[in-house]
Amino acid sequence: MRRRMLVSLVLTTLLAAAALGATLASGNTPNLGLDLQGGASVVLQPEGDVPSDSINQAIEIIRNRVDALGVAEPEITRQGDAIVVQLPGVRDQERALEVVGQTAELRFRPVLQVVPAVDAAALEELSTSTTAPGDPTATTVPGDPSAPTATTAVGGEPAAPEAPSTTVATEGPTTTGAGTGTGTGEVGLPLQDPAPSTTVAPDPGPTTVTTAPADGGSTTAPTAPADGRSTTSTSAPDPDDPCQLGGGTTPSEGDTLDAQITVRGPDVTGIQGAPDEIEDCYVLGPVPTASDGERLIGSVVSSAEARLDGVWRVSLSFTSDGLDGFNETSALCFGADPTCPTQQLAIVLDGRVESAPTIQAPSFEAGDVSISGSEQDPFSEGEAKDLALVLRFGALPVELVPQTVQEVSPTLGRESLDAGVAAGAVGVVAVVLYLLLYYRALGLVVVLSLAVWAALNWSIITYLSASSGLALSLAGVTGLVVSIGVTVDSYIVYFERLKDEVRSGKTLRSSVDRGFSRAFRTILAANVASFIGAATLYVLTVGAVRGFAFFLALATVLDVFVAYFFTRPLVSILARSRVFTEARHLGVARGLGVRRGAAPATATPAVTGGGGT
Amino acid sequence: MGLGRRLYDGDTRFRFMRVWKRAAVASALVILVGLASLGIRGLNLGIDFEGGVSWELPSGGVAVEEIRDGIGDLGLADATIQTLTAGGEERVRVRAETDATDDDAAVSDRLAEITGSDRDDVSFNEVGPSWGQEITDKAVRALVVFLVLITLYVSLRFEFKMALAILVGLLHDLLVTVGVYSVSGLEVTPATVVSILTILGYSIYDGIVVFDKVDENTRLVSSTKGVNYSDMMDLSLNQTLMRSMNTTIVAVIPIASLLIIGSLVLGATTLQEFAFALLVGLLSGAYSSLFIASPLLAALKEREPRYADVRRRIAARAGARTTAPADDVVVVDEPTADATSAGVGSAASTAPTVTRAAPTAPTTRPAGVIAPRPRKKRR
Repeated sequence: MRRRMLVSLVLTTLLAAAALGATLASGNTPNLGLDLQGGASVVLQPEGDVPSDSINQAIEIIRNRVDALGVAEPEITRQGDAIVVQLPGVRDQERALEVVGQTAELRFRPVLQVVPAVDAAALEELSTSTTAPGDPTATTVPGDPSAPTATTAVGGEPAAPEAPSTTVATEGPTTTGAGTGTGTGEVGLPLQDPAPSTTVAPDPGPTTVTTAPADGGSTTAPTAPADGRSTTSTSAPDPDDPCQLGGGTTPSEGDTLDAQITVRGPDVTGIQGAPDEIEDCYVLGPVPTASDGERLIGSVVSSAEARLDGVWRVSLSFTSDGLDGFNETSALCFGADPTCPTQQLAIVLDGRVESAPTIQAPSFEAGDVSISGSEQDPFSEGEAKDLALVLRFGALPVELVPQTVQEVSPTLGRESLDAGVAAGAVGVVAVVLYLLLYYRALGLVVVLSLAVWAALNWSIITYLSASSGLALSLAGVTGLVVSIGVTVDSYIVYFERLKDEVRSGKTLRSSVDRGFSRAFRTILAANVASFIGAATLYVLTVGAVRGFAFFLALATVLDVFVAYFFTRPLVSILARSRVFTEARHLGVARGLGVRRGAAPATATPAVTGGGGT
Repeated sequence: MGLGRRLYDGDTRFRFMRVWKRAAVASALVILVGLASLGIRGLNLGIDFEGGVSWELPSGGVAVEEIRDGIGDLGLADATIQTLTAGGEERVRVRAETDATDDDAAVSDRLAEITGSDRDDVSFNEVGPSWGQEITDKAVRALVVFLVLITLYVSLRFEFKMALAILVGLLHDLLVTVGVYSVSGLEVTPATVVSILTILGYSIYDGIVVFDKVDENTRLVSSTKGVNYSDMMDLSLNQTLMRSMNTTIVAVIPIASLLIIGSLVLGATTLQEFAFALLVGLLSGAYSSLFIASPLLAALKEREPRYADVRRRIAARAGARTTAPADDVVVVDEPTADATSAGVGSAASTAPTVTRAAPTAPTTRPAGVIAPRPRKKRR
């Protein structure tokens, strides 16, 4: 029994020490909520009834926008229909909220040029290898900003392309066959077909669908207006190109229907091993206008679905007017008109190219449009479904209405944090002093138990902060301060019980275990009630109350844990020590009110016959 | 032995059950005033519940009127403008209807300009009316579920009558706090709601600790020992009194620290919002568990045939010796559960008919003799 107590005590102490050590070593600190560090938050609700998928899509879009803003610890959560966006520490709060709240629209835009967005250093390195003479392919892709990739691929360098477009390049000779495209300038719009792994094909039947440009389908098109000089000029980072500068545009900034825009999109010219976040840069033309004046935007799509027939593909249906408009654009792209020199039509959602399939026919029948991956890089099920979702979302964009907007000034947040921490510290010190005075040595037990409790609590909070973005808000801080009270109360219940036992004439030693088992019943009953309350609030409410409930529930669980595995063995072991029990000012006996020479029994109330524990 | 020492030893003998009437009247008065105020003035709900826009920033010593004049042309001539003084700094809060102004940012700029503050120091908050309603609905729904679950839990763990007593105690605390908010006109914010929920948590915790002791002491109730249920309740309360006081003290210390250090010294108004409600509720909770919930439980239990019987026997014996104080003698209606009067200390009777044998009274012993201290059966 005694041995078990000792083991439990040591293990718990080690656990707390290890948790705290790990926390300090990893340098985790809790994320501070909006109200503690300043920032902006908005709660958005969709107008009308919106399918759940679309809300998730909208969240995805908002996440992309927020990432582009460079917010450190954004929290974007869905609560029912509402989307809660929290941007702690964000600088330009108004603009941030404006960007977040815009309605996203799906648009089709012809691709004018694709620039692989590698970082400057890599680009530099690659540009030197491009000029390597004697490599036939080096000249087959001149004027192409993505040439470096293609060249190194041929040379067997690590830049093995994963996308069909680069495969096209490696087939060198065929590519040059059409190198007389329009739009050729000195630096003009030199283009190689980056043909993303998708192709719009007329759907004469699954077997005859031409999907991959890799076999030269697209390379025969006059897509690579090229001359030798442009190779060098475009290989260097273009100061006018935001993508290459690494800055990127904020999505939807200047993204008007008629503007030519430069946005990021899937990496088809990518270098193997490059981080996923490196994306290609697409130069896109204005959104085409059909002859009836309708623009080619998401509302022309009536449905989109991912299906499997041999390979995963996304079949696409248009509204009848929409199909006419789409066919007009298809004809232009198929013919590599100057407005669509790459034959690719990009699907752009919220300033990001989702896919840029090559148009493979001048016109399509209703219901016959499908997008598939290339032979080299066929769609996975997930990719196909994601694209279908994007297209469906385009058919019914979610209009989000801000329900609450909050901008907290960083100075105010800072003040609240400082005040909260200062108040908490003073509060804890005062509580500890009171308990030491009242319970003497047992007060020390409380201090140690609280230390273990705090170490575990802090470790869990910082861990959850780092792993799942839990943020400590002002309500959370209050929850913590309050939970100190609840935790200390457990010890009070135990010690008062101990006092009763000792007063009824038992020795301290025998009182300790009995007292605990009775007190623990009470502690458990009360903590379960607290936990039920906290859990109810957590599940059923939003915002501040939720944060509070979480911290209270966590503290409740830890309280029971520490009381059982730390406090009980500690008191039990200490009770065997004479120094601990009988020291003059600190002794437990004194703390428990056992006076020397006084018969314990006299303390029991006579009216009731005593008997109270 | 001094009062302090007796408190320390759990050896006080306050008769809480004797003062329940006075306590109930006092509570009823406070609650009535609160309800009346609620009916007349209502609550000063923050924009999180009602919807609206608000700005908050350091006032820079600029007078309210000057600020009003400055933003009048932006559609905010009717805005509520108040100054909040906390710590060394005076802050100003401007509040208006959601659609009062089209350009929130312009107002922020203008306010910063008028007060000479940094633009970064302006906090802004906007809540749509429907969202505020939704928040309120959710909070109320959560509260109801919370109360139902707690009732269920206490009923299962202890018994329904205890759950009922705890519930009444909670309602008491809730009404008192809401009343204080209505009378004082303090703004109700989400922080207030959090605080009130905290109080409910404390109240339940406290109630359970006391009732756990009551549960344990129930076996002391016996006519042979001259202990009726109310006496036992008094004993239990006295035994847990020091714990209750300690708990309250320990809980009040951090809250007072939040209130004094956090808001008064350092000037964080949000902490003030939290701490004030906590303080009111905590005191109300400490009071209600002693003077409202416990007497109610005693009253409910005294009406159970078993305890009614004990009481009658004790009274009968005391009556026979003619030494019993009048209000200790009680007539209890027929030992059926449907009696309607409160039953405790209501009337005197000298000769109740004993209808049932007390289950725990195998022998008869003269009352007034100190019974030997029972050895507890422990597990």
